[in-house]
Amino acid sequence: MAAASKLMSVRRDWRERDVRVVLAALIIAVATVATIALFAGQLQRTLVSSASSFLAADRQLEAENGREIPGEWLTEAHARGLETGRMVEFSTMVFGADNFQLVSVKAVSNEYPLRGEIEVQRQSEGPRTLVGAGPGRGEVWINPRLLRLLDLTIGESLEVGNRNLKVTGLLIREPDGGFRLSALAPRVMMHADDVPSTGVIQEGSRVEYVYLFAGSETALDDYYRWLQPQLEPSQEWEGVRDGDTFSRSLERAERFLLLGGSLAVLLAAVAVAVASRQYALSQRDTVALLKTLGVRSNGIGRLYLRRLALWGIAGAVAGLFVAVPLFWGLTRMLSELLERPVELYLDPMALAPALLTAVVSLFAFAYPPIRRLRNVPAMRVLRSQPGETGREAIPDILVAIVAVFGLVWLYAGELGLVLALLGGLLLLLGVLALFGWLLVSGLRRVRGGGNAWRLALVGLYRHRRASMSQIAVFAMTLMLAATLVLVRTSLLDDWQAQLPDDAPNHFLINISPDSVESVASFWSERGHDLDQLYPMVRGRLTELNGLPVKEAVSKDERINALNRELNLTWMSSLPADNEIVEGAWFTPGQDRGVSVEAELAGRLGLAIGDRLTFTIGSQKVTESVTSIRTVQWDSMKPNFYMAFPPGGGLTDMPATWITSFYLPEEGKPGLNEFSRQFPTISVLEIDHIIARIQQIVQQVTQAIEAILALILAAALVVMAAVVSATLRDRQREGALLRTLGGQQSLLVRSTMLEFVLLGGFAGLLGVTAAEAAVWALQFGMFDGNFGWHWQVVLPIPVISAVVLALFGRWQLGPVLSVSPMLLLRRLE
Amino acid sequence: MNQMTDFSSDQSQPMLRVDNLSHRVSLETDTLTILQGVNLEINRGESVAIVGRSGSGKTTLLGLLAGLDTPSEGTVELDGAVISHLSEDERARLRARRVGFVFQSFQLLPAMTALENVMLPLELAGIDAPEKRARDLLERVGLGERLNHTPRQLSGGEQQRVAIARAFASEPSVLFADEPTGNLDNRTGQAVSDLLMALNREQGTTLVMVTHDEQLAARCGRQFTIESGVLTEPAAVREMAD
Ligand SMILES: Nc1ncnc2c1ncn2[C@@H]1O[C@H](COP(=O)(O)OP(=O)(O)OP(=O)(O)O)[C@@H](O)[C@H]1O
Ligand SMILES: [Mg+2]
Repeated sequence: MAAASKLMSVRRDWRERDVRVVLAALIIAVATVATIALFAGQLQRTLVSSASSFLAADRQLEAENGREIPGEWLTEAHARGLETGRMVEFSTMVFGADNFQLVSVKAVSNEYPLRGEIEVQRQSEGPRTLVGAGPGRGEVWINPRLLRLLDLTIGESLEVGNRNLKVTGLLIREPDGGFRLSALAPRVMMHADDVPSTGVIQEGSRVEYVYLFAGSETALDDYYRWLQPQLEPSQEWEGVRDGDTFSRSLERAERFLLLGGSLAVLLAAVAVAVASRQYALSQRDTVALLKTLGVRSNGIGRLYLRRLALWGIAGAVAGLFVAVPLFWGLTRMLSELLERPVELYLDPMALAPALLTAVVSLFAFAYPPIRRLRNVPAMRVLRSQPGETGREAIPDILVAIVAVFGLVWLYAGELGLVLALLGGLLLLLGVLALFGWLLVSGLRRVRGGGNAWRLALVGLYRHRRASMSQIAVFAMTLMLAATLVLVRTSLLDDWQAQLPDDAPNHFLINISPDSVESVASFWSERGHDLDQLYPMVRGRLTELNGLPVKEAVSKDERINALNRELNLTWMSSLPADNEIVEGAWFTPGQDRGVSVEAELAGRLGLAIGDRLTFTIGSQKVTESVTSIRTVQWDSMKPNFYMAFPPGGGLTDMPATWITSFYLPEEGKPGLNEFSRQFPTISVLEIDHIIARIQQIVQQVTQAIEAILALILAAALVVMAAVVSATLRDRQREGALLRTLGGQQSLLVRSTMLEFVLLGGFAGLLGVTAAEAAVWALQFGMFDGNFGWHWQVVLPIPVISAVVLALFGRWQLGPVLSVSPMLLLRRLE
Repeated sequence: MNQMTDFSSDQSQPMLRVDNLSHRVSLETDTLTILQGVNLEINRGESVAIVGRSGSGKTTLLGLLAGLDTPSEGTVELDGAVISHLSEDERARLRARRVGFVFQSFQLLPAMTALENVMLPLELAGIDAPEKRARDLLERVGLGERLNHTPRQLSGGEQQRVAIARAFASEPSVLFADEPTGNLDNRTGQAVSDLLMALNREQGTTLVMVTHDEQLAARCGRQFTIESGVLTEPAAVREMAD
């Protein structure tokens, strides 16, 4: 035992090439997975806080009923460590020097905004600044357009009800410059404490109280759990995640990070697996030697377990030492991108998957072959029996694969993701098995000669087992990398498609039926065409198949759409970005029925033929569901939960019209004239919101690209590890070929060809499997439309072929520069 | 067969001529002289044995004679060509056509079967029907039943016989063998010696071998002794003394 221990000293270990490869793989594995997990956590927090600024808080509680919420609700929130703020929103007439205008007032408390910043301009020609609080008491900030409409200048006063408030700034952008239809008229922002003295709000006024909350996610969740039972239907708790406008984009980005992390786990596992298996196989002779020296099987097992554990610890510690600075660098990069400091957030839990991955793949792949050797008589170890095929390792490898995919599941928490990747992998292995069979039966006939092509083919055939496992690993690595590239591309394409440069950025709302035509011609005269105009009727869904809807729907479903008035419309043709998933769209002349948005239909459990009753003003309309359709909520166009056919249930209901259009910056002055000519029509300017969404998309894109680069680097390392695992064999073969009279050029060409074939084929295989995995992922995770992406992924096989060929050439270097004799002596 | 460089042999010339050959390797601190002032001439069809203690420089000398390395000093002329004047590719071509080598440590490719190992030089030289020829050779060294086994599955002696079959495969005009019977039992060793001598006799192959086997050495036409890098021909010395 003492002799054996000596044989296994750590210092000796390090001198062994295989051990160094295992340790390097471990370090890279731990470093990549930990970096990505840490960074994903950081990014998520940063993005959420970025997104939170859309609410000016982490959560909002909206009370549409015109009543404030009970004081103890706020006391409770404070007791739970939450910050709160308050806003009052209402419409009123304001008076300037000689003019008056209907405005939408937002009165804010001192705390507003809890998240994000307000952009104001203090002088008419001055710079714009970002500030963390609203106007003080006695002051107002107003929309620049209102300034012109009222002929005011900064410093003059604005009459709001009984008060004269001094205009101290122009409101350029508010963080929660929300997408709310109640905020129609030009904005005036004032202090909440000034509201009572204006006397504007009286019994029965239409007022909305909005409460802001910010704090830790757990505190917020706990608070909501406490609050939920007490909420009235008109009180709505809203988080970033529930919003329509862009939470979907955010969700996708998060999923991408999740996917990236999972792929990193897989890649890392592959790297460690390849290296440690290689190591285990190289230990056969040592194990045999130990046995002849009289070490018992159990002793050998313990020895190797101890050794692997030691490396596991060493690799993990070193990996973390690499990961933390890397993470720090990425975070620095992020904060530069965002142009604001990002608080470093290092979640220790993010390190768990990294360590688990390393340990599982180390033991799962390195130990089984050694354990099997333990039970073999020494002689048999020294000389492997004829007919040994490596098949006995298959069960072990299967177990290890299951373990690693289990890890991915643990990491991502998405069975769909695991299944998609596993499916892609199985497809890959299937094709590979087929290829193996073809290789064996097809290349057997090829006989080498002085010809590099034939020598390369013969090489592939002769090393078929090594070739197959290399192709398997390359293909898997490339599949993972290609999957990520594909998902990134489709993610970006989707975003681009949602928010093209000419995405509608202005809404016209409240257009009376008789001014529809003059509005359209007003803008077309100025060279801006309106998008489709839709009629809009406000109504509530009150009954489902004759039962009150609140009873018909299960209690635990919280459906915002039921708590407020819905925008109902009628239209003859289906909007281009909507899609019928059930039933059929209205046929021309059809005047009964209603088409329901798919997600709402799902939550209400609606089916074709269900009868819906809407209350519109004092009237009731009942129609049955004739179709269910999907809607692109983030398209920045008017979207509707409920659509009726022309001449259907909404006929004769009081309707106004709504439309959206793209107005470039230089067209903005036209808005003033428009407001004068059509004072009752509301203009909703969302160009700032769109700009911010585009900015966030850009940030996310950058982050995604950073992670992609990291993963591609890891993939390259894996491939290098695999190739260099056979380095010795290849060099020896090269040396021997030279002693047998092979010319250098022949050697170079045939080696490069062999690698080109290997890399090209593995690339094709990996890309095909990636397409399959992405197809599955897009179904399950990204709800995008699948299309082939050959132009994106075809470079991958080419690159992998070229890179491997160059790598092969590089490996051959020492074989070419040294005399064959010396080489053989060295490789002895 | 594509005859690229003209190595056509002038039959009157000696097969090997070594003139004042020395070989040194530089180590970390100093240089180690392995061979010193070696002079040697071997004619076509001769068989030569080199004996000497372990570490005396036998393998190094053999490698230099076969053109696997270039000497630090002096010249090696193999079949009329001065090895150190040739480019690496020309040396390779010379090896492919004229030289066979049996390594002390066999140097078989572990990924290939016995048959494939023997076919390798035939394929490199572009010789037709390599498989049949390789099969014949393996049968001749008694391995007809083990064609598809890999080196790991063969015993040491069996591996050595595969290495010999490979060296014979391209019908070299000179065969270098580094302890060809070192791992063989008496009977097999005898068979291998017979094989080597037969080849030397039937095909006129020049035979240069390192051996500890006195019997085998005795069957060679000439014997050399090497001691600390200095080569002597005891028989010749004795003749001169006589
Ligand atoms: N490249 C080299 N670097 C360092 N030492 C070398 C090198 N080549 C040969 N030697 C040394 O030169 C000496 C002669 O080596 P060589 O292999 O020729 O011996 P040998 O006579 O064949 O011995 P054996 O009978 O044990 O095979 C040895 O001491 C060896 O260690
Ligand atoms: Mg030797």
